[in-house]
Amino acid sequence: MNDSVLILTIFAAIGLGTPLVFATVGEILTERSGVLNLGVQGMMLVGAVAGFWATFKTGNVFLGVIAAIVAGAAISLIHGFSSVTLRVSQIVSGLALTIFGTGLSEFIGRAGTPALVGSPSRATFSPILEGGIADWPIVGPLIFGHDVLVYLSWLVVAGASYYLFHTKLGLSLRAVGEDPASADAAGVNVTRYRYAHVVLGGALSGLGGAYFSLVLVPSWQDDLIGGAGWIAIALVIVASWRPWRALFAAYLFGAAGRVNFTLQTLEISAPSNLLAMIPFVLAIVAMLVLTSGKRARLLGAPAALGVPYAREQR
Amino acid sequence: MTTRRFVVQPRGLAPLRVTLLVPLLSVLAALLVGALFLALTGNSPWSVYSKMVDTAFGSSRGVSETLISATPLILTGVAAAVAFKMLVWNIGGEGQLLFGAISAAGVGIWLGDGTPAALAMPAVILAGAAGGAVWASFAAVPRVYLGTNEIITTLMLNFIALNLMNYLVLGSFSPWRDPESTQFPQGRPIPEGARIPEFFNRLDYGIFVAVGVAILAWVLIVRTRWGFEVRVVGDSAEAARYSGIKVPRKILGVFLFSGAAAGLAGSLLVAGILGKMDPRSLDLGLGFTGIIVAALARLNPLAVIPVAVLMGALNNAGPALQSIGVPSATVRMLQGAILVFAVAGEFFIANRVVRPEKLVATTPATGDAAA
Repeated sequence: MNDSVLILTIFAAIGLGTPLVFATVGEILTERSGVLNLGVQGMMLVGAVAGFWATFKTGNVFLGVIAAIVAGAAISLIHGFSSVTLRVSQIVSGLALTIFGTGLSEFIGRAGTPALVGSPSRATFSPILEGGIADWPIVGPLIFGHDVLVYLSWLVVAGASYYLFHTKLGLSLRAVGEDPASADAAGVNVTRYRYAHVVLGGALSGLGGAYFSLVLVPSWQDDLIGGAGWIAIALVIVASWRPWRALFAAYLFGAAGRVNFTLQTLEISAPSNLLAMIPFVLAIVAMLVLTSGKRARLLGAPAALGVPYAREQR
Repeated sequence: MTTRRFVVQPRGLAPLRVTLLVPLLSVLAALLVGALFLALTGNSPWSVYSKMVDTAFGSSRGVSETLISATPLILTGVAAAVAFKMLVWNIGGEGQLLFGAISAAGVGIWLGDGTPAALAMPAVILAGAAGGAVWASFAAVPRVYLGTNEIITTLMLNFIALNLMNYLVLGSFSPWRDPESTQFPQGRPIPEGARIPEFFNRLDYGIFVAVGVAILAWVLIVRTRWGFEVRVVGDSAEAARYSGIKVPRKILGVFLFSGAAAGLAGSLLVAGILGKMDPRSLDLGLGFTGIIVAALARLNPLAVIPVAVLMGALNNAGPALQSIGVPSATVRMLQGAILVFAVAGEFFIANRVVRPEKLVATTPATGDAAA
């Protein structure tokens, strides 16, 4: 394969992988606290539309990012309240968040005048370095050729990994996800940890959604992100709840989602509808390989994942 | 120590008025939230809501269109209800509906015009159910025999089915595509003989099939030994195993039934109102709306019927809102909000929130503050 095609492919994979990195790391943090949030798709869509709206109103793309983070965090509170305080089924509550978030994003995208649907993008993120080391062969584009959010995603991965495995707070977080009763007995506030990490997950999902509406597309339309939120939930398992693995898994799925692009550069034509299936087929294969039989236990899912915690029911 | 103003106490079986009141209040609360968003975007909630009621129920035409919209939702609602009841998380109603539609249209086109209606119509309808079950089996078999997480596999299968349908009509010259549609690709019509006759405006007899399946699901679950065992598995797989119930087979049966119901929704659309596999009219999120229906019906297949009519009314009213300058997505937001409140409402069905002095002494008190 031609070097430049390979580099273009990896570059495209990083592009489509970046929103997956944000959302997957966010969901890892949430699930590490023992809360399963199937609302990622909804939170990403709300983040995407909020980010586009704020950028459209102000012309400032950084305000767009902040709006996306705040919107994702805010809407995640719905799931926090249902699953942590009310202790209802986390699966159904997460689905509810996705369905509501999807509908809300479509409503916001069309309710204002002028509607966000069909409105042009007023600002976007460009690569932060032009020329110089960004022009070096291979490492130039792959390491130095990205926009600021890609670097932020690397920081998020490194930070989340350090937080989880090298800090006292991270240790407590993992304890809450593994055995909330013991963590509680040891003086860790289970409720506070779970709320905090649901909201953190929502913020990162919102940011991931904004990468679509501000950088990748960049515009707003219904269901802008395809199935990225669902892919992120699968990636948490593929990454076995570890941030660094999430980074590479996200890029792998980014590449899978860009096979059409790669084939185009190689001047090979293939039906786009069939190519669009690839990431979803890959996710099913990954689930079959990783979550089947005895291997599931080796993955290291938080033991209390999906189980509501009530102090009295110890 | 501070005195708590309210305490939460788990209850066994909630009284009927509570189980009826909570879903009703969920809908009301969602309408209030919707009103807030409508007001924030400069619309009059009152005129929007009265327009919706008028569109959905204000004329015989409106009522028939509402029932047309409700028909697939009864089936996707039953699909979700029976599966969730057993803690089988089939989130793939969407994909099963689409593959049901693909199967139904395929059989209809393959049979062609010569086949008598008495054969063609049931064949097309049943093909949808079979297709839905087959599509569900791709997640059900790994779940039952390997323990593979079905939430993710059923979800991914939704996207695969959607792309497959689009490929067959929009992306290729397959037998599913109308050969006469060159500029705007369309599905190939199935033979007239395979179409379900209409009896009330455009409403066809398919709705009776949907209602029949809902009743059948209720009878199966509430009145048969099979259903009893399914409920036992849903309550505790451990207990079921110890009492000699073959749990894997029960899960497989429920999963495939669920898929067949969703697939049937697809074939009733193809053999009914659509007459062909039309990608634009099938990709409406009917599978996900079925989850809302099931949750609001509290997983009771009979309650699914009226709730599906309510959701069908909302779906029917959506496009009409555009004539008064309000996006039809208002409906999707409302439906999502209804689900959010219905889910939260489960808390009030499972627990009593009372003042401390009203605690019932016979059950162990749980002193969790709710206010």
